[in-house]
Amino acid sequence: MSADRRRFGHTELPARQEDALRAAIRIEWATLVFLAVTIALVYLVLGNSQAMKAAWIEDLLSLAPPIAFLVAARIVQRAPNRERPYGYHRSVGVGHLVAGVALFAMGAYLVIDSISGLISGEHPPIGSVELFGEVIWLGWLMMGVMALTIPLPIYFGRRKMALARELHDKVLFADADMNKADWQTAVGSIVGVAGIGVGLWWADSAAALFIASSIVWDGTKNLRGAVRDLMDSRARTFDDGEPLPVEDRIIDTLRARRWIADVGVRLRDQGHVLHAEVFVVPRRNRLTLDDLIEARDECIALDWKIADAVIVPVDELPEEVGGAPRDRQSERNR
Amino acid sequence: MRNRRASLMLAVLSVATLTGCGITIPADPDGTLDRVTDGTLRVGVSQSDPWTVTEGTGQPQGTEVDLVEAFAAHLDADIEWTAGGESDLVQALEAGDLDLVVGGFTDATPWESKAAVTQPYAESTAPDGGTARHVMLAPLGENAFLVELEHFLLDGEAER
Repeated sequence: MSADRRRFGHTELPARQEDALRAAIRIEWATLVFLAVTIALVYLVLGNSQAMKAAWIEDLLSLAPPIAFLVAARIVQRAPNRERPYGYHRSVGVGHLVAGVALFAMGAYLVIDSISGLISGEHPPIGSVELFGEVIWLGWLMMGVMALTIPLPIYFGRRKMALARELHDKVLFADADMNKADWQTAVGSIVGVAGIGVGLWWADSAAALFIASSIVWDGTKNLRGAVRDLMDSRARTFDDGEPLPVEDRIIDTLRARRWIADVGVRLRDQGHVLHAEVFVVPRRNRLTLDDLIEARDECIALDWKIADAVIVPVDELPEEVGGAPRDRQSERNR
Repeated sequence: MRNRRASLMLAVLSVATLTGCGITIPADPDGTLDRVTDGTLRVGVSQSDPWTVTEGTGQPQGTEVDLVEAFAAHLDADIEWTAGGESDLVQALEAGDLDLVVGGFTDATPWESKAAVTQPYAESTAPDGGTARHVMLAPLGENAFLVELEHFLLDGEAER
């Protein structure tokens, strides 16, 4: 990485966020290296086991979120221009969608795979393997390899969750969920193979089904969040939990100005950064340009995430930002 | 966090307890190894000279037939031979009517999803000049039986 300052389009990042972004890029590269090694390792112990094949396909799918993040982190630095007046921030939204689809696909694949295994009464065969001249049960080797793949994803997931909060980065959030899915399926495979070891043919499918349901839930949550953001829904926190608190802070700050009678805000999450449309109802009939510029700068100073704020003076607040219900502005002929 | 530790502990504990109870790992869901030991090994054999020869004398012959006989002796089992085509034999294996099928199968066998394929125990030159790695077919999921057979095939007894 070069020494120049990282930015999201026109938005210069505060030092804290800049560090977080660098850390996130490093950890995503580390994730890719880790996945490449795991994919190779699991491929070697695949054997005839359908269960291990499923684990391998999941590993391939979990490549999608880190790649989506790294691509988005690169594109998002470009500044807005004549052709892209809103900048390139939405690449994060696209990345979030990709990651959400990957997570959902992984869960759905696992659910279908394990249910079909249970229904058809598949008895998974796990034979022997020759290792350093010794013939041992392949199950031991499978459990060993799976156990090795548990600790790092737990660490990656926790780090990414913290960084996602710092950077308001939803791709990173989805990838943290993906890491959780990775280590949980590894635990599931260990329990499943151990179950097969003691003669319970259904153990692997049952354990996978149990874990798959939580992956499907995480996938659905991320998919829904990504689609909401791409449809310009009300901006929410990085985990799509609450509406962003900065919305209320803008309203409170501007209401404190003497010339403003009422304020309504429309925030759209562009990915990392927000575009704010701030509707203000002035007390007097005359406004100065200075009033508007001050109000705008005050909004932008509230949070690094506010990349663009437009102040719109109106006689009444539109209904969707808290005004009284009435005709739409566009429907009026006055 | 707590959940993960709990499930790991549970896995370790259950393996530990079950081993303590004298269950061998891996175990057979349908008890094939137990039934065969000191009992009858039901073997399907399809013609594949020189591995298996069923035509002529009535009594199957060939290198794989010799191996199966040695394996049966190792388990103190009598052998009940069934000669037939691969498809019928694999179906019988799936239905639980056979315990083992031989017939010059290689690890490229298309029966992978219907039978447990053993580790390759011998190599030969295939008609196309490549290496054919020879295997036998056991019932799906009867892992104790499968591992016992593979131990027998790989631990020297089957060297050629």
